Amino acid sequence: MEATAHAASAGTEAHAAAPKRSWLFTRPTAKTGIVSWLTTVDHKKIGMLYGISALFFFLVGGFEALLIRIQLAVPNNTFISHQTYNEMFTMHATTMIFLAVMPLSAAFFNYIMPLQIGARDVAFPRLNGFAFWVFLAGAIILNIGWFVKSGAPDAGWFGYAPLTSKAYSDQFAGDMSTDLWIMGLQILGVSSVIGSLNFIVTIINMRAPGMTMMRLPVFTWMTLFTAFLIILSFPAITIALVELMMDRSFSSNFFEAAAGGLPILWQHLFWIFGHPEVYILILPAMGIISEILPTFSRKPLFGYPIIVFSGATIGFLGFGVWSHHMFTTGMGTMATAAFSLMTMAIAVPTGVKIFNWIGTLWGGHLQMRTPMMFALGFVWMFMFGGFSGIMHSAAPADAQQQDSYFVVAHFHYVLIGGSVFGLLAGIHYWFPLIFGRKVSEFWGKLSFWLIFIGFNVTFFPMHFLGLNGMPRRTAVYDGNMGWNDANLVSTIGAFILAIGIVVYFAVMIRTYFKGEKVKIDPWDARTLEWSLPTPPPEHNYDVLPTVHARDAYWYEKTHREEIAKEHAEHAKAEASHGGIHMPSQSWFPLFAAIGLLIGAIFFVNHMFEWAIGGAAIFVLGVYFWAAEGPGGYHVHLDGDDHHDGEKH
Amino acid sequence: MPLFFGGWLNWLSGPQSTFDVAGPVAKSQLDVFYVTLWVTGIIFVIVASVLTYATLKYKARNAADEHAPTPPQGHGNPLVELSLIAASVLALVFIAVPTLKAIWYNYDVPAAEKQTALEITSTAYQWWFKFEYPSEQIDGAGPLVTANELVIPAGRAISINLRTVDVIHSFWVPKLAGKVDMIPNRGNHLWLKADKPGYFWGQCAEYCGEDHAVMRFRVIALDAKDYAAWLAHQKAPARSVTADDGKPGATYTAYTYTNPGRNAPGYTAAFDADPLGSWFKWQKPEADEDPVLIAKGRKLFQEKTCIGCHAVRGQEGVGVSGPDLTHIGSRTTIAAGLLENSKFNLHRWLTDPNGVKPGNKMWTTGYNSDGKTVFRIDDEEARALVAYLHSLK
Amino acid sequence: MSTHAATDAIDHHHDHTTSTGIPNKKLFMWAFLASDCMFFGTLISTHLIYRLHQTPNSPDPKKLFSIDLTLFATFVLLVSSLLVALAVNASQKGATKSVRRLLLGTIVFGLTFLSCQVFEYGNFLHEGLTLSSSMFGTTFYTLTGTHGCHVAIGVFWLTLMYIRTFKPADERPWVLRSLGHLVVFAAVAVSCIITLVSAAHAIEEHGFTAAVLAHAGQHNIVTIAIALVGLGLLNWIGRTSKAVDFGEANAIDIESLGLYWHFIDIVWIVIFTVVYLLEFL
Repeated sequence: MEATAHAASAGTEAHAAAPKRSWLFTRPTAKTGIVSWLTTVDHKKIGMLYGISALFFFLVGGFEALLIRIQLAVPNNTFISHQTYNEMFTMHATTMIFLAVMPLSAAFFNYIMPLQIGARDVAFPRLNGFAFWVFLAGAIILNIGWFVKSGAPDAGWFGYAPLTSKAYSDQFAGDMSTDLWIMGLQILGVSSVIGSLNFIVTIINMRAPGMTMMRLPVFTWMTLFTAFLIILSFPAITIALVELMMDRSFSSNFFEAAAGGLPILWQHLFWIFGHPEVYILILPAMGIISEILPTFSRKPLFGYPIIVFSGATIGFLGFGVWSHHMFTTGMGTMATAAFSLMTMAIAVPTGVKIFNWIGTLWGGHLQMRTPMMFALGFVWMFMFGGFSGIMHSAAPADAQQQDSYFVVAHFHYVLIGGSVFGLLAGIHYWFPLIFGRKVSEFWGKLSFWLIFIGFNVTFFPMHFLGLNGMPRRTAVYDGNMGWNDANLVSTIGAFILAIGIVVYFAVMIRTYFKGEKVKIDPWDARTLEWSLPTPPPEHNYDVLPTVHARDAYWYEKTHREEIAKEHAEHAKAEASHGGIHMPSQSWFPLFAAIGLLIGAIFFVNHMFEWAIGGAAIFVLGVYFWAAEGPGGYHVHLDGDDHHDGEKH
Repeated sequence: MPLFFGGWLNWLSGPQSTFDVAGPVAKSQLDVFYVTLWVTGIIFVIVASVLTYATLKYKARNAADEHAPTPPQGHGNPLVELSLIAASVLALVFIAVPTLKAIWYNYDVPAAEKQTALEITSTAYQWWFKFEYPSEQIDGAGPLVTANELVIPAGRAISINLRTVDVIHSFWVPKLAGKVDMIPNRGNHLWLKADKPGYFWGQCAEYCGEDHAVMRFRVIALDAKDYAAWLAHQKAPARSVTADDGKPGATYTAYTYTNPGRNAPGYTAAFDADPLGSWFKWQKPEADEDPVLIAKGRKLFQEKTCIGCHAVRGQEGVGVSGPDLTHIGSRTTIAAGLLENSKFNLHRWLTDPNGVKPGNKMWTTGYNSDGKTVFRIDDEEARALVAYLHSLK
Repeated sequence: MSTHAATDAIDHHHDHTTSTGIPNKKLFMWAFLASDCMFFGTLISTHLIYRLHQTPNSPDPKKLFSIDLTLFATFVLLVSSLLVALAVNASQKGATKSVRRLLLGTIVFGLTFLSCQVFEYGNFLHEGLTLSSSMFGTTFYTLTGTHGCHVAIGVFWLTLMYIRTFKPADERPWVLRSLGHLVVFAAVAVSCIITLVSAAHAIEEHGFTAAVLAHAGQHNIVTIAIALVGLGLLNWIGRTSKAVDFGEANAIDIESLGLYWHFIDIVWIVIFTVVYLLEFL
């Protein structure tokens, strides 16, 4: 609703003075303090909110993982019960995927992407805030289970029917753990889709002059691909969840075997979402790596078009390989063969990226800063994960590996060695831009080595466990299976990894308060966001940049005179338009999201009348949101913000 | 370091190892795995060397390197990029061809062996496996049924129909064949063959609820003669021992029982040393059995309503929702492959099922069916039931 | 984006403030519809997969469906699409009065479609087809119900847009009045649907005679009264409005709404073909 001018119809004059407004629509203007965060529409603040929530849930998920590893440290362990163990692995996966890695990627999309394309905000700033609050509502619902009698969801993050049906997931009357899982994921889906629609419009429509698509930084490209993957794949799981919810709440038959239901259908719908989801998790990290490697190699990305097109190819093929998660479901020879070959095909664009990253290093001057260490760690670990992925693509070999610890090893190499390393690299890389301080190289590298070693000690032995026949999701194992040593080593590794993560965050927190202050562009980087002061002002760019080349900021640095002249001209033009236009803050995204949260909680408890009340709050929130209009005010660079309400 | 690498090889030799294969299906799967391992291994060595070289050679070593003028700003080399793409595609062809061959080979029993193949239907329950032999019909009782221990003839192709009565499970005996899922409303099947007689560990490989971790089973392959003898014995009704048969064996109940606690191991090194040999020992009646105690146990088996869920063909047991116990005494394991079938373990299972397998159906629909009162079996009753069940050879 | 937007002639096909010239809202709507395609694709696939499998207790859809009714509903929805297209056109010319009339027309046709659906559901329930009676009931109600929800949301949005055209140009407080307007509108709509559907059921059962109509009228006296009073109120609100803050600049809002409305129309045509017509092949 916000982007279009809310101009008066012909005949009515624009309003010079601030009009009288009802108290309901008085826009909050606080720039600091709690209200500024609750009502923010600033993509940087929203990015920060995403980041902090994601890191919190990253620690929660990590804690769950440690409990899992303690239980498996020795055979026949009684540290936690089967039931608790099942809750742990369900919530560990759900948390890490939906509440840690995806929102952490969203944090970078929010904070960095608009800066990279030279925009002052996203296309729909209030909708952006709404996406975050809805995310938080979903996260709360997913985790309510820990605090109520039902317990946390325990049907696995993949929720295979019919284990999730009333008959098998209702140990006692009113057990709502599975309902919480269904509702939580649906709400997170809403958040992801809304956020992604916003990013798509932003990247396509809000680029600075001269920022053609083939000049977009690779991170922005990966944001775009991820956003498309999200809007096209989340509907599949949302509908699957709706069907499951109908089964559980309204006695329909979708996955009821007695009524002819096909539980295999759930698997298809789940993995049509689930496989693109894998790329939703990895593409942002690949984007970050593609920013860091050129910066610290001090030369442009090798084969930019190929990197971009391979990203697109991965995204596209990602929709055609879902059944490789189902090689053991008896699909028949033709389907198995087809999905095997498709899966091998997807290894090509992935491999191409690795070749091009190495090409980027080749002939450069590599500066081994901490972000670069994480980036190189990413390349190595992702390569490992990629190779075990190729092993899975061979369906006959996969018949032994599927649902064994070999798979656990594989996807942790891709998701920790890949996604998480990429995101941790990104935090180090952009920390100076966001907070104006730099992490000490010693502590940064120490945390890198602890994480790198801990990670490998944890997950490398799991390849052996899987090939030695240890199935996943098993709360106990016997001591005579030959799995004892590898499990113990793995648990020790998990603690090294945990120490590494603690050091990483402790260093970050210390740096936030006491780190070495940096000036503009501390890494001598190549993309536009580094042309900004640290931290960037609310309106990002005093003068919207004009882009003349890929690696736009590098060009600016090598053509300073030309750029200075251009800036002066543009500044004058912008001033004549009344200054820099910024969107107003708003309470209603939060208001609507709270309605959604209330409605969802009552729905899960099967209190449908009350749920309608929550829905009504949501609708009212949206109504007020539309009625208050986009609003806006102008920033004048002399520091005098001029609020002129709805009209301008 | 060598010790460390040596250790890894030990990590691949367990009873569920996918390397120590014992049949053609597992073998073909292992061969495909080796192909993928070689191809990816070679690519890895090449790529990793180039990456290491690039990192070491171009790394800034000192302040002078750090502040050196920027290197040439090259944007890539299409020829290099395209040839690398072509090379990757070529490498994948090496994997694709054996993969396709093995997909067809593993799918069904080869045509030449179709005639001689033995058909078995395996049905999964939360949390145990039922095995039926459709070709072995028993008058008035349908096909031969057994539970949790599948006995097959070695050297013969076995075609297994995979069914489930509740949620999704997966049938996996790593040394014989990769897994295939058992899915409601879906008629899956797999085939396997054991080259030689042997004792194989299997386990459910798809998460199926609270006790997924302890849903295990065994496959015992016998030579043709032993298999025929086993079959004849299994098709006979349950062995009946009455109080008048022979003299009481005074030593029979001379074991002490204290509950070893949750998740306590149920296996022994003596058994693991020669599992197949142990299996043969299990087939013969115990020398010191106590007919009086057995008769008491048989009565308790009725009184405690065990007969409602468990069948003992030829005797009182008629239920079908639990494992068939007609020849339970001849099985090496109880509680779905979790515990060795010793007096101590059977005693433990009967007196504390929820401690052995939390939330199992014998507990939730039998011992604690209303969720409040718990039906107990005391020490003396347990000893009688153990004597009875172990007499069912 | 800027004040001169109102004074310059508005080019409805290009927005010079965006990189591509496509207005943000339009691009957003297109991307959303791509996503929505996947929603319906999944639901339609589910229905088809279960139609291709034997499921127990499945009724014969050929006996169940009243194809005349559905054909009528389809026609009604198609006409509503035409009306919304005309509304977009009118809004781009700044013809607010005509926009109002066309939006109202679209709303009436949308509500008629929904009434047909409610009527059809009533018949099916009467035949014993419920959400849990068979797999056919499960997939049929979920798919057509989801589409019905989309139509209902569309009608709600059309209504909001209709009410929006009354926003006064001066700064009189308007939000509470608009909420009142909305409530009256909703009351009229719901009353009309209830009256019509119940009358249709009566006619179907007893034939189209004056006595039946009179009885149906008597039976629904309350809803008819609400509808009549509401219509009067709506008419009054419409007449008393002065200069409004609604014009060419709002055309993009109507256009986005129109895109959505066309989309659910197209989805219905797919559903009509796949769920209804295919059964008769």
